[in-house]
Amino acid sequence: MPETYENGTEIEVKNLNLWYGDNHALHDISIDIPKNSVTAFIGPSGCGKSTFLRCLNRMNDLIPSCRIEGHVNVSGEDIYSRETDVVDLRKKVGMVFQKPNPFPMSIFDNISYGPKIHGMSKKEMPSIVENALKSGALWEEIADRLDASALDLSGGQQQRLCIARTLAVKPEVILFDEPCSALDPISTSKIEDLILELKKDYTIVIVTHNMQQAARISDYTAFFLLGDLIEFGKTNQIFENPQKKETEDYITGRFG
Amino acid sequence: MTRDLFQQNMGTLKGYIIEMGELSSEAILGAIQVLKTQDAELADIIYQGDEIIDNYELKVEKCTTQLIARQNPTAGDMRLIISCFKIAIDLERMSDLAVDIANVAKCMEKKHEEHLDNILKMAEICDEMLNQTIKAFETLDHELAASTALKDEEVDKLFYGTQNRLIEAMIEDKALITNASHLLLVLRYLERFGDHACNICESIVYVATGQRVNLN
Repeated sequence: MPETYENGTEIEVKNLNLWYGDNHALHDISIDIPKNSVTAFIGPSGCGKSTFLRCLNRMNDLIPSCRIEGHVNVSGEDIYSRETDVVDLRKKVGMVFQKPNPFPMSIFDNISYGPKIHGMSKKEMPSIVENALKSGALWEEIADRLDASALDLSGGQQQRLCIARTLAVKPEVILFDEPCSALDPISTSKIEDLILELKKDYTIVIVTHNMQQAARISDYTAFFLLGDLIEFGKTNQIFENPQKKETEDYITGRFG
Repeated sequence: MTRDLFQQNMGTLKGYIIEMGELSSEAILGAIQVLKTQDAELADIIYQGDEIIDNYELKVEKCTTQLIARQNPTAGDMRLIISCFKIAIDLERMSDLAVDIANVAKCMEKKHEEHLDNILKMAEICDEMLNQTIKAFETLDHELAASTALKDEEVDKLFYGTQNRLIEAMIEDKALITNASHLLLVLRYLERFGDHACNICESIVYVATGQRVNLN
């Protein structure tokens, strides 16, 4: 486990176990995720990295056979306590998915949808939309066509729209679940640069199949294998001098 | 511009090399000053500078390792990263040679004025080569790198000519042997200094053109 973090800890996970029915999918995971940093989860398919990511904003609640034990604290708040309002939690811990999923409505309405349901006034909406699109590095490309359908944007633009939509409700943490796997290299670069910019204001956790992407943009890397957290450390250390043989075998392509 | 962080790290790496080059230039000029004055305090300053340069070499090593491990560099980026690693080794050796010259120079007697002119001339050309090399590196100017390396011929000519004169002087007057043999070492160190500058020029040509050339 890395030493104390410069900006403090945002998410604390202790002894987390998860079952899908009888399948014990995550084994006793404990990890402290640092604030205002990019933390990447890597590992082969089926290792549990996306499942674990979804534990951080209770997206697994939607799966009936799923059972979770252990503790997850986000900004000091136990997110699995009975008092937790899951809608508020998902506002605080936003999520961006593998496939861009804009709503079938205008660009403006996509961004304003979240703030509206969280009770922000109509008057504030134009500036909320503009700020979110600027933070999402999309404003300059679409400022003159906010009324156009979001579905007309390119894949990369749609993904940045989804990021902007998440930013519009002012989260503290953003979870990215393979956000670039459906994008071309240039769009991928744009998203990666955007993530590096966003970490100044948000805590970022990203699941990626692309090891090079984890290496390029993350400050910390966690390697998962068959439901276990094998190694967690600074990305510099994980990619230059991993401490576990399994990690070395995976990142050097000798795995399997 | 995309891959902002990568570009920033590449800029940092280039900055290390340029700073190492400037420090190595100060080191060789200082060492020659010690040769003229036998100033032990100045020699100490050169030793301290050498430690700073050693640290820079370590920084370059760490930076290149991280860039290769994390950024998957290709083409010109890869050539630059690999070459920075090599150039840092050359610059660190050049600083060591300045230390070697200062070590010899501070314990010499002042009996060598007649041979010093050529050595000073060599040192001047070596420092000029280093400065031009660093300039070529900053802009990746392969033509400047190639023309700079040509100056090593002058250094070599002065080396062989002065070496012969010193040997003749020692044959004629055995009392000169101690001092002249020290000067032979200084000559050798300067000649090696020029060779390292040529190595750096070769690296610059490789970064700029992808061609491996022998300029030495």
